[in-house]
Amino acid sequence: MKNKRYNLLLIVGVTLLALWSLVPTWKEYSLGKQLEAFSSPRDSLNFVLNHRDEIEDARQKGLKLGLDLKGGMHLVMEVDQIDLFMQKAWNRDAKFDAIMEEVGRQAAATDADVIDLVSAAFRKQNIRLSRYFYDIRNSDSEIQGKLRKEAADALVRAREIIRNRIDQYGVAEPMITTQGNRKIIIELPGISDENRMRNLLKGTAKLEFRLLREKGALQRTLDAINTALSAPSSSGSSNDAANNGLYSFVQVYGSDNAAVRAENRELVSDMLKRPEALSQLPPDSELLLAARADEADDGSRLYSLYLVRKTPELTGGVITEAKATFGSQGVQPEVLMSMNSEGTSKWARITGANIGKRIAIVLDGAVYSAPVVQSKIPNGNSVINGIQSLEEAKDLEIVLKAGALPAPVRIVEERTVGPSLGADYIRAGLQSLIWGFSAVVVFMIFYYRQGGLAADVALVLNVLIVLSVLAGFNASLSLPGIAGIVLTMGMAVDANVLIYERIREELAAGRSITSALSEGYDRAFSSILDSHVTTLAAAFLLYTYGIGPIQGFAVTLMIGTAASLFTAIVVTREIFRLLVSKNLMSSKSFG
Amino acid sequence: MRIFSNTSIDFLGRRKIAYAISLLLLLTGLVSLAVRGLNYGIDFRGGSEVVLRFEQDVPVGELRSVMRDAGVSGTIKQYGMDRSFLLSTVFNGDTNELKSLISGALNSQLKGNPFEIVRIDAVGPSIASDLKWSAFKAMGAALLAILIYVGIRFELKFAAAGVVAIFHDVLIVLGLFSLLGGVFEVMPLEMDQSIIAAFLTIAGYSITDTVVVYDRIRENIRNRKPSEYEQIFNESMNRTLSRTIITSCTTLLTVLVLFIFAGPAIRAFAFAVFAGILVGTYSSVFVAAPLAFEWIKRSKAPVKLRGSQKA
Repeated sequence: MKNKRYNLLLIVGVTLLALWSLVPTWKEYSLGKQLEAFSSPRDSLNFVLNHRDEIEDARQKGLKLGLDLKGGMHLVMEVDQIDLFMQKAWNRDAKFDAIMEEVGRQAAATDADVIDLVSAAFRKQNIRLSRYFYDIRNSDSEIQGKLRKEAADALVRAREIIRNRIDQYGVAEPMITTQGNRKIIIELPGISDENRMRNLLKGTAKLEFRLLREKGALQRTLDAINTALSAPSSSGSSNDAANNGLYSFVQVYGSDNAAVRAENRELVSDMLKRPEALSQLPPDSELLLAARADEADDGSRLYSLYLVRKTPELTGGVITEAKATFGSQGVQPEVLMSMNSEGTSKWARITGANIGKRIAIVLDGAVYSAPVVQSKIPNGNSVINGIQSLEEAKDLEIVLKAGALPAPVRIVEERTVGPSLGADYIRAGLQSLIWGFSAVVVFMIFYYRQGGLAADVALVLNVLIVLSVLAGFNASLSLPGIAGIVLTMGMAVDANVLIYERIREELAAGRSITSALSEGYDRAFSSILDSHVTTLAAAFLLYTYGIGPIQGFAVTLMIGTAASLFTAIVVTREIFRLLVSKNLMSSKSFG
Repeated sequence: MRIFSNTSIDFLGRRKIAYAISLLLLLTGLVSLAVRGLNYGIDFRGGSEVVLRFEQDVPVGELRSVMRDAGVSGTIKQYGMDRSFLLSTVFNGDTNELKSLISGALNSQLKGNPFEIVRIDAVGPSIASDLKWSAFKAMGAALLAILIYVGIRFELKFAAAGVVAIFHDVLIVLGLFSLLGGVFEVMPLEMDQSIIAAFLTIAGYSITDTVVVYDRIRENIRNRKPSEYEQIFNESMNRTLSRTIITSCTTLLTVLVLFIFAGPAIRAFAFAVFAGILVGTYSSVFVAAPLAFEWIKRSKAPVKLRGSQKA
């Protein structure tokens, strides 16, 4: 009998623990309700100030809602390993580029390991990896190992930089984790400006200072490219727009200015990438477009073209501080930057040696400005202008401070739920919970009477346990999670149904209520165990292999199933024991 | 109250009819899978989906032509909620571009009717293949785990018959998805991650039902001769019938609630589980136990079920 007493203590203990861990959730809810009741903003502000600790505490310990219920962004970003490896290769040629391009296409369509794809592609061409990577004496497997390490480092660095950017932007409770060897998962609850966030995240933030080519070179190069592109090519007719030469889309002003109309930007940038055009470039040179369009006199928007040296004079690694501000006229936003000591001395040397020439400030392949060097700059300061808005300047400040990503990252998956849809989901979820719960409760009482009542008590406890475990372990409740709870309610009564049907059989066989109860529980036990273990196993596998929303479902299903094992075997049995000892049960108690 | 008391239905005697029904359902499903295929959602095929909600109702045709003029390719359908539409298009890493294209067109063409982008989902092709593969692994691992567990708890023949029943249930629901996919506007029945969760739920439910029947067989079968097996199987199924039906009913009830109240995001999931529970209840009585019986009858040796000595 001592054992039984422990059971009672256990039940009371579990119930109290569940209620206790839900107290902050209740508090959060009631504080929110009080806050809603205020009519003036001043009252609510005062309330928040007076109850700040309480609110903060409740929010931290209360039940968290998933991104789908609260609204927010879920992003998966992928580090471009192909680009990373191309940076590492030391004597790239056309063949190498062709192979890497092919691998890039394969990698985009599958989740296969990029290093395996690269090795396979080179093996197919009978080229040893050491021809392009690291030391010529390295074996293929050594190089694979090195590349793998490189990729792992890049992923960690990219995660840190992205975390920095998000922290500086200021998002409450972001979650940033890595998955596999090239993915970064970012969860941002309650984002107000998603567009800005995307822009902030995806830029590589590779800052370069590059010298412009000498006077006249731009015009010469454009002339050459124009001729090369207008030459009747083997394919297509000469009337083809792309064969009309560059000058149909590019205007040249004077000897050193050229620009492209905004609507032709994509087209021209594609044209300039064609091999005929690339072959016309002077050695160590590159044509870049401006980051921002200038307004011409006739109202059209023009992007300037710059011919710059391919090798940067200085890169963004030397930047230690960046600050968004307004320029001297007070209207143009700009970003002031300062450099570390190494950068400062280099910058002084570069500016000193190139007085009167132009240096382009290039961020992620687009030219922000190309000022003429007036004098030697000894203090390591520089400035980016040509920025549209203060907001953009602030974002530049953030990405420059956080540093450049080791390789470009791409958004490969995005799930954004707006706050209004989240509110809809919460309403729908609550409705399903309430209706599902009522349906089961009524059915059980109708069918099993007293027994059904006990099962309903167990069901309440079950739902309480699921919610409290979620709150206690800081897991969040999502819409699929709510579906999991509703489904668990249906299945949780299964254990009781098994037992009650058995008890009915035993009663029909003429046993007393006491012995029918104990027989019923004992005999149903193995079925209950088997069915719960299989459900737990399925839920566990869902949790292991599923991601995001599926995991939310799996977690509530697991907790619910475990709780149902407890409530069905311990809780209802204890209720019946109490009722029997008080002579409150008869053979009619199970309907 | 009781609905089924002391039934004595000859389940095994009708197993041939049941086999015919099952085969018919399976074949219909498989043919539809081969001909119509499945209606994959963006989780598995990659792509972008945008849910737009307007302040006032807009005819879907008008919206389509506005989008076509703006150069947004893809399809537009009514979404399960009021004044809402689902636009699905190809995947493009930059949803900003897509958003500004949509906003630009709608703000100029449908001026008096403000809208809101309430949801954006974009899945790249590499992620889609990732998700497909992990779904596949989850299903495979679940079936293997169930086979091993039931094999240990009962016996391999029973476990194998149970897994066949799971396949039966999952394939029939899959066939149903293929057959009805895209037929109903309110419920496109697309294959996505949540459907994989539904299939694992169905598998778990199906084996639970089966195990309960097996458990009763194990209890009754000890020290009995093989000639009595048919009677024991039938009796065990009749004795558990009441539980099977009641549990199915309560679970169906809750799933029905989900179907009605939980909104379009959960609807396909609820539909899959609903159908799966119906088929799973049927299969535990008409597929799993009869197959186990059939196999045991052929092998002629008396069954030794683990745990039957002490039960």
